[in-house]
Amino acid sequence: MSYMIALAGNPNCGKTSLFNELTGSRQRVGNWPGVTVDKKEGTYKKDKEIEILDLPGTYSLSPYSAEEIIARNYLVKEKPDAVINIVDGTSLERNLYLTLQILETGIPTVIALNMMDEVEDRGDEIHIEKLSRAFGVPVIPIVARNGRGIWELMEKAAETAREKRAPMKLPVFDKKLQETIDQVKALLEAEGEPDSGWKAVKLLEHDENVREQMKEDLKNQAGKLTAKRYGQEADLEAEIADQRYQYITKAVKDAVTKHSAGCVETKSDKLDKLFTNRILALPVFAVIMYLLFACTNSENFLFLGIPSPGIWLAGVVESLWGGLTGLAERALAGASPWIYSLVIDGIMGGLGSVLGFIPLVLVLYILISFLEDCGYMARIAFVLDRIFRRFGLSGRSFIPLLQGFGCSVPAVMATRTLESEKDRKITAILAGFMPCGAKLPIFALFASTLFADNNQTLVTYSLYVLSIVMAVLVSLLLNKFVFREGTSNFIMELPQYRIPTLKSVLIHGWEKVKGFAVKAGTVIFVSTVLIWFLSGFNLNSFNGKNAAENEDGSIMCGMNDSFMASVGNVIAPVFRPLGFGEWRPAVGVITGWIAKENVVVTFAQLYQEDVTEAYLEEYFSQYSPKELEELGFEGGVYNAEAAGDIYSENILFEGSDENALPHMRDDIQTKAAAYAYMVFNLLCMPCFAAVGAMKRELKTWKETGRAVAVQMAAAYTAALLVNMVGGLFL
Amino acid sequence: MALAMMEVGETRQIQAFHGKEEVKRHLQDLGFVKGGTVQVVGENASGMILLVKGVRIALNRGLASQIMVA
Ligand SMILES: Nc1nc2c(ncn2[C@@H]2O[C@H](COP(=O)(O)OP(=O)(O)O)[C@@H](O)[C@H]2O)c(=O)[nH]1
Ligand SMILES: [Mg+2]
Repeated sequence: MSYMIALAGNPNCGKTSLFNELTGSRQRVGNWPGVTVDKKEGTYKKDKEIEILDLPGTYSLSPYSAEEIIARNYLVKEKPDAVINIVDGTSLERNLYLTLQILETGIPTVIALNMMDEVEDRGDEIHIEKLSRAFGVPVIPIVARNGRGIWELMEKAAETAREKRAPMKLPVFDKKLQETIDQVKALLEAEGEPDSGWKAVKLLEHDENVREQMKEDLKNQAGKLTAKRYGQEADLEAEIADQRYQYITKAVKDAVTKHSAGCVETKSDKLDKLFTNRILALPVFAVIMYLLFACTNSENFLFLGIPSPGIWLAGVVESLWGGLTGLAERALAGASPWIYSLVIDGIMGGLGSVLGFIPLVLVLYILISFLEDCGYMARIAFVLDRIFRRFGLSGRSFIPLLQGFGCSVPAVMATRTLESEKDRKITAILAGFMPCGAKLPIFALFASTLFADNNQTLVTYSLYVLSIVMAVLVSLLLNKFVFREGTSNFIMELPQYRIPTLKSVLIHGWEKVKGFAVKAGTVIFVSTVLIWFLSGFNLNSFNGKNAAENEDGSIMCGMNDSFMASVGNVIAPVFRPLGFGEWRPAVGVITGWIAKENVVVTFAQLYQEDVTEAYLEEYFSQYSPKELEELGFEGGVYNAEAAGDIYSENILFEGSDENALPHMRDDIQTKAAAYAYMVFNLLCMPCFAAVGAMKRELKTWKETGRAVAVQMAAAYTAALLVNMVGGLFL
Repeated sequence: MALAMMEVGETRQIQAFHGKEEVKRHLQDLGFVKGGTVQVVGENASGMILLVKGVRIALNRGLASQIMVA
């Protein structure tokens, strides 16, 4: 017999910390049916018979956000064998409000009194026995962060589940209210409604969900019953909440001895004086954001002359991949040309370009997780609320948008934490504008080739700024013309500042990157093979004509005659007003929709064909022997065999050279057009994986289609303006 | 008077909420109940930070002006 034990509690009470301690590495993350909120399940380390479930944090069982609905539905519909209700010992009163509602469901429950280390540090004392008596269930003090008390907790929980020990009925409500509840309960019972006790309370609380699923005539009868006792206008909901809190206040007063009466200024209050300060909050925020991006993608970390952790890690990964590619090249030396080309150019080349920036995304997300877990992110959302409100969003939208700098997929998924539907929709659109990790190589390639004589950092930063400006503009327009509901309220708990453990930050960061890494392994893998196929083959590959014409008998064709060229030629005219109406840039845009990292891969593949041996020889002739040696030619002597590799490694993506891709210049002739191309790729529809995430959050394809249309329109308009206006100056 | 008028450091009792039903419920879940105490612990351009039932909660000013205190 196996048992299911669910962890429930307020946000930030320590559920995930406890879950990680209890399950170790035996975790599975799936999805809740129909929604994309992560469903984290695991097996208890010490007993394989016990399954543990980490429910989303919730303040009550009358849900307010999408995540809260999940927790509630699970508890009342699927009914775990037991619930471990985690309460934060430093804010007992508020946490116990959910406890009372969980106990009403009748599910066997154990209370885990968490954060005992902080309670002790404050010098407060909690009388466990008294608390347990007041709530009629076992209470076990724990410190989830270091595992103190969690084995006793699990023993109690397992016992409670095994014996199906339902919680005692508590004298929470006064006589009049309890009688009313009992009457409604009897009414429901007579009709054969399951969970009548719990539903009776929810009915009186005007719970939408319960009311929706109840027969009209039952609702009317219950309504009459309460009207008779309380009058027509009675606000029973407030009454119930009030009586619950009264019960809790009394229980807490009995059980807790505070070290110091009244409210002392805590460490958190002191930090808030700085981080939410009327004047200093924004400068401090700017410094923290600067540090965040400096750690991720700065070549000169804090002006110390060393690369940032992100760049350093990317270098390590790239050189490892380079070694692997070298091995593959040697292994395939005798294979047929198309297999060699598929593995080396297609697969290794394509995946390599992705691997190069996964470290950047990883470092960014670990840092974001740190900011979230330590409590600062909630403050940023609050501080920015005033600014975001000006253009029709809530400060909470900042968190998904910041994630958009890493990858659009988790960014779009993070919009579900927003309470208002309008904010969710707009933020999901804007998240696609952010310069995600996969777009950075596009900027790097263009900056180093077509903007070789400009300040390249400035070129890249201008695009960051543009993405934010466009987000503001589009949000303003959408608020003015599409959504007119006005701005939503900002209500957010500011958790205490806590230094999170390294382990939890790493787990949390990795969870966000994982979707991205999986995408890299699947979508990008398949699409690079597809691009390789479309750009190396045409109809003649399969009727023998190519084989007859090619000297080596290969069935492949030149890029200019490939399927890809045909597709590109059809679409190219659309982009003519933007300055890049040729088939190759057009193909770049299309492959970018499969995955943005493809744009650079496509450029490298499409234009590399132009890099002939003669071209290379001429190109390298401009270098002195010493420079040649530095570039990697042995002894400083030009060597045709090594030239191709050295060119693509050192010149194409790294060096600043306007001649790196000689024919790129023919297709994208002006700087205005080049900038327009970057702008278009920055703002247009994100990759398919992100569109899939948008569909999940926006629910229907119609809504998703609209959102993508807004992105496309914004991208086209902005690129057109850049090309037209820029053409006058550049 | 409205909560939004309170000064930093002041403590008062919550009286009523004039706003949408669902927002009222959410506030209740967060500890804002009639008769409960609320203390203002911070304030900035976005709104106020309140101490309710031992927890810090940030509200925008518009919402704070819908909550009545005495
Ligand atoms: N001091 C202390 N901090 C804890 C304890 N349990 C969790 N935390 C911290 O509280 C924060 C929130 O914890 P988390 O597990 O993410 O909470 P969740 O939102 O309920 O999943 C993290 O920074 C944890 O490191 C504890 O027992 N003591
Ligand atoms: Mg959690």
